[in-house]
Amino acid sequence: MTNLDASSSEVVFKPKPSLPPPPNTVGAIGWVRKNLFSSPLNAFLTILSLYVIWVIVSNTFEWAIVNAVWEANSRRECLDKVGLSGACWAGVSHWMKNFIYGRYPDEEVWRVNLGFGTLILWMLPFWLPRVTSKIAIGASAILISPFLLGYLFAGGEKGLFLQVMISIAITSFIFSWAHTLLSMATGKSLWAAIVQASGFSAKPEATHKYPVFAACLVVFAVAFAWQSSWDITSQSTNLWGGLFVTLVISGIGIAVSLPAGIVLALGRRSKMPVIRVFCVSFIELFRSVPLITVLFMAVTMVPLFLPEAINPVKIVQAIIAVCIFSSAYMAETVRGGLQAIPKGQYEAAQALGLSYWKMMTLIVMPQALKLMIPNIVGSFIGLLKDTTLVSIVGLYDLLLMLKAVSQNPQWNGIHTEPLVFGAALYFVLCFVMSKYSQHLERTLGAGQAGR
Amino acid sequence: MAVVDRGASGQGSSFSVIVNDERYRSIFYQIIVFAVVMWGGWYLFSNTSQNLEARGMSSGFDFLGSTAGFSIAFSIIPYEAGDSYLWVYLVGITNTLLLSFLAIVATTMLGFFVGIMRLSKNWMVAQLASWYVEILRNTPLLLQILFWYLAVFAILPRPKNSLDILSLELFQLNNRGLYFPAPVPGDLFWLTMVTLLISVIVAYGIAIWAKRRQNATGVRFPAFWTGVGIIIGFPMVMFLITGSPLQWDIPVLKGFNFAGGSSVPPAFLAVFIALVIYHACFIAEMVRAGILSVSHGQTEASYSLGLKPGLTLRLVIIPQAMRAIVPPLISNWMNVVKNSSLAIAVGFPDLVAVFMQTSLNQSGHAIEIVAMVMFFYMTVSLTISGALNYYNKLVQLKER
Repeated sequence: MTNLDASSSEVVFKPKPSLPPPPNTVGAIGWVRKNLFSSPLNAFLTILSLYVIWVIVSNTFEWAIVNAVWEANSRRECLDKVGLSGACWAGVSHWMKNFIYGRYPDEEVWRVNLGFGTLILWMLPFWLPRVTSKIAIGASAILISPFLLGYLFAGGEKGLFLQVMISIAITSFIFSWAHTLLSMATGKSLWAAIVQASGFSAKPEATHKYPVFAACLVVFAVAFAWQSSWDITSQSTNLWGGLFVTLVISGIGIAVSLPAGIVLALGRRSKMPVIRVFCVSFIELFRSVPLITVLFMAVTMVPLFLPEAINPVKIVQAIIAVCIFSSAYMAETVRGGLQAIPKGQYEAAQALGLSYWKMMTLIVMPQALKLMIPNIVGSFIGLLKDTTLVSIVGLYDLLLMLKAVSQNPQWNGIHTEPLVFGAALYFVLCFVMSKYSQHLERTLGAGQAGR
Repeated sequence: MAVVDRGASGQGSSFSVIVNDERYRSIFYQIIVFAVVMWGGWYLFSNTSQNLEARGMSSGFDFLGSTAGFSIAFSIIPYEAGDSYLWVYLVGITNTLLLSFLAIVATTMLGFFVGIMRLSKNWMVAQLASWYVEILRNTPLLLQILFWYLAVFAILPRPKNSLDILSLELFQLNNRGLYFPAPVPGDLFWLTMVTLLISVIVAYGIAIWAKRRQNATGVRFPAFWTGVGIIIGFPMVMFLITGSPLQWDIPVLKGFNFAGGSSVPPAFLAVFIALVIYHACFIAEMVRAGILSVSHGQTEASYSLGLKPGLTLRLVIIPQAMRAIVPPLISNWMNVVKNSSLAIAVGFPDLVAVFMQTSLNQSGHAIEIVAMVMFFYMTVSLTISGALNYYNKLVQLKER
């Protein structure tokens, strides 16, 4: 222990660079060893799972692709070619139009396409960046579009009320997109642009609404004049079918169940006993029975309940049932979200002197809805799957259309292929929605982590 | 709180006091809502009675006593065409309960199995389970039922070429359904059953005693294995003493179909399998979420106390996970009961099929029948949620 100061001769401890990890613990091999073959049992399980996957995938592949018949004019032809060892996709492709539009006449199919195209376009601003007032746009799409779409699909004579609603729908569609384009290009809202253009920006704020109202009226008048010249033939709802009917029923179910569910959930948490009792009984009654009983109830009892003059068509009866049922479920989803809001938020809002509705719309609901979005999307997925039940009461939705193929003389007895095709279609729709809700959950959750 | 006079602008009238008082306003709203609901109810009622009168239909539950002229393909309580509608209702209820009960037992087991598979450290196993869940829960249940019925069970062979499951000549599967041996109890079989009941009670008593003693003294007693021994052993001994009074009626092919044994129709199997497979996805997700909800610190703490992995799982993880699993699990069971009504799509005679469809079409008593069916489902639902609330009270975290 001498010479501590003599730095020249000091032996400095200098670690050698660390050795690389053993090659069998890193990279692909390491991953395989760790995750698939860490023990004899794991190795066995891996091989067993691989075998199961192999059996399923290879058989499906062989049936659906290798041995499949894509071109044929009847099931007999398919059977003669490959028997039951291959899929007869020709049956599906021959019926594709019916799967999507039902028996809607060919030359009128553009109306269905136009309707759904409009709706998609209407909802599109929701996903565009830098667009403000998304809630208003979304609400207008959900609440007002059914009138325009319903007229497009059904056609025929339109009364004054429907004419007004159609004009309102056109107006709000135009305003939504004008606002969207404007706010994406300049970052300003349509409201501000109208105020500025009309020269009202110097005047007091309370008067700013007048030019906006005037603009609305002008567009409304033009829309009213335009739509009154429309003349499209009436298409009976008996002709509606396939994916089209599935989307109409579940779409209306979604559009009604969300606001109705919010009202019911608020009613259930209300301090007024009469309102609470009504809401609780409605929710609990319809949550505790199967949807099929509600559908039967609608089909058998709605004609009894209403005066004989009003005899709703079957699709309306089914929609009533689906709306009642999904509202009850949505109410519970919303209640879950409301309960997750800490009591301090309510108290703070009350301490600020906000009224009940201001407290709900400005403080509680925005937070609660954000929490609820994944669950709401979950309910929508459930609703989309549940609409298949309308086939039991005889509505030609996608499922009944898939089933109907086998009753056609040419395609007699073809069950598996249409059902597999339908399953794939439903799977894609639901899977995309559920992945999207998980994505929303993550992005919204990221926003909350900062609290 | 006293009524505050808010007439700041000089109008301290009693009117504005009343209008601005929350209590009066709430009473006012409630009266309005009540009146609207009552008016709606009365409107529907008057329309209904008018419509019924116009169609010359009677109302009331008298029709329950009249005979139902149709036969039912499958029933576990004896039924023949000509029995009353009330009996049809009971046949429907028992069929629904049988189907739901079997489906609930099977789906819970499958769901736990898949849920644990999803948590496996083996990547391949976890992936297999997760794709099972993703694919099956994203396709409608009704479509799955139809698939099993139309695409799988419809192409089964005729009775003559039945599939002999397990090759024991006991379970025969063909396009008429699944045939299996039926137990035929002998004269003294009830003694075995009584012994079984007593053994269960005794085993339960021992378990309680063992737990008390362990809490008091820390001495462990192998109550589980003792209980298993008692429950299996004593009835077995009694069974042998009384001379094995249980025969099996084995299905045998006679002519074009099987005779003897019991059977369930293909529709039952299709609905059963679809219900089990579909609901197992949801149960698997609950199990996974429940086990993940137990923080890893619990496992580490238990290891540091020296507990082996098996004991850690049994004594620390599972009891805490169950608290998160059981409530959604039971509401899922409720969904199984409700979804068993989809049996109507393939013609299995459950409550909705025999009562809400066939009986309603035959008798025309829509309102009574809808009410009775809904009443049944509500009773089941309320019973289950009552049990759930009791359980929640039992296991919820005790704040000390």
